[in-house]
Amino acid sequence: MKLSSIPILIKILSLSLVCIFPMLLMGETEVNTCVDCHVENDLMPEFYLEEDVHQHAGMSCAGCHGGDPTAEDMDESMSEENGFVGIPEKQDIPAFCGKCHSNIEYMRVYQPRIPTDQESQYYTSAHGKKLYAGDERVAQCSSCHTAHGILPAKDTRSSVHPFNIPATCDQCHGDTKLMAGTGHGTNQLNDYAKSIHGVALLEKGDVGAPACNDCHGNHGAAPPGAESVSHICGSCHLNNFEYFKTSKMGQSSTSQEYHNCEQCHGNHAIMKPSDELLNFTESSLCMDCHSEDDAGYIASAIMYSHIRESDSLYQEAQLRMHDIQIKGMNDVDIQYMLKESKQNLIQLRTLVHTFDAQQVTQKSIEGKGFSQQAIELAQQEIKEFNGRRMGFGIATLAFVLLAIALYMKIKLIDKQKSNISS
Amino acid sequence: MKYGRREFINSLLGFGGIGGLASIFYPVFQFLIPPEITEAKVSSLKVGRVDEFPANSSKIVRFGRIPVILIRSDRDTFKALAATCTHLDCIVQYNQDRKQIICACHNGVYDLSGNNVSGPPPKPLTVYTVSIIDEQVVISEEKNIV
Repeated sequence: MKLSSIPILIKILSLSLVCIFPMLLMGETEVNTCVDCHVENDLMPEFYLEEDVHQHAGMSCAGCHGGDPTAEDMDESMSEENGFVGIPEKQDIPAFCGKCHSNIEYMRVYQPRIPTDQESQYYTSAHGKKLYAGDERVAQCSSCHTAHGILPAKDTRSSVHPFNIPATCDQCHGDTKLMAGTGHGTNQLNDYAKSIHGVALLEKGDVGAPACNDCHGNHGAAPPGAESVSHICGSCHLNNFEYFKTSKMGQSSTSQEYHNCEQCHGNHAIMKPSDELLNFTESSLCMDCHSEDDAGYIASAIMYSHIRESDSLYQEAQLRMHDIQIKGMNDVDIQYMLKESKQNLIQLRTLVHTFDAQQVTQKSIEGKGFSQQAIELAQQEIKEFNGRRMGFGIATLAFVLLAIALYMKIKLIDKQKSNISS
Repeated sequence: MKYGRREFINSLLGFGGIGGLASIFYPVFQFLIPPEITEAKVSSLKVGRVDEFPANSSKIVRFGRIPVILIRSDRDTFKALAATCTHLDCIVQYNQDRKQIICACHNGVYDLSGNNVSGPPPKPLTVYTVSIIDEQVVISEEKNIV
């Protein structure tokens, strides 16, 4: 080898190292001509994310769309012989995703606990039934999960994270054009957002609060039937459901196909219930079935008056405790009593779902007893406070008198001394 | 008897003196005999002898301002947890059959370690340390080891 060719050889070697070494480091040994070509031609799918859950698991475009991502030639890589299926028809999407997601043997490699019944559940849903019947306006997998930017449901950026589910459903259910002729309103998100559930989830970030799918289901989403409403609400509001189900009201409500809980509390716009729900007025919902002076009317009036009395006594006891705290007196016992009283009030409001005035009355008497005891304890503390104030006043007076007397005594002694000396 | 200026001043001195002394000694006397309930920060509480708590039983005790549920789930295991439900502050109870802690208000369920298992409670119950010192059960606040 000539000496002059050595620098050229070094240059070639260096260049090779610069090109090959990073590839070795990154482990980029697989070729994906789909991405290369689509990037080059600015044809990447909308909302494409490199963090997509499938890419993250090592799947390439061919995992869903078929074809040969290693072939340099486009016709070859996207040929039918290589299994290329391209963009699926909307009607075929559930089966398209289901070819992996319904296969437990395949799925357990990635997530041993993942359910594999999404596709079969989907065809029982209102969406699935319509898609099966040929209505392509309805939601299928990618409508909710997106297609190329799918993130795990626990990721707060995911379209199916609880925080985002209401907005995801609203993409279609809030679209007046899409919903025209379906018989569905388009105000569900607005109603939900101001409801007690919506405020808890969307404003307070409480993921325990139900989103759309918690009541309607997700893959098997459907409007709850008359009978299932109380079961659905009862999955969180257990005591209310147990009381209601065994009540006379609950039994007749089910037999008459009323929507149970929804009948009084509403559905998407459920507000924090007020005691006024029990108060019969002309516009009261109860008046649809009940009339003045019938048994239901009387029971409701009894329950309402007991709850109001319990509540106002509890409020009074709370004010007394507040007063005690301002005065710096001992409020520990009062606080314990008020805890009992508050607990009783919560249970009382739940017990209303028995629609049994006798049970409510009994519970109310118990609760009023706690509030009354708290008030009495507060009165004792106030008495003690006044006693201490009086004692302090008397002591101050005694000291003032002592000071005056001492002053006068000194003056008197001085006067006596001057008299003696004169 | 003539009640002159001198007598008046002497009476005044006597009244003021007695009142003044009473004002000084009354608080001292109150300090020596304190009231039954005192408001002080509690960091540990002796709740009774071990044999006062049968196995599979519970007792709610006052740990300062906080109600605490002491559970003896079996012969050797004592647990102490804040007895206030993390949902709406109701007092929880120990269910002997299910060996779980239940909140009667909305059916919240906790396990014996205080973890919220089902129902509306959003977070676990605060755990307290239970020590047995000279056959006495003592509850104290958990120390966070950094």
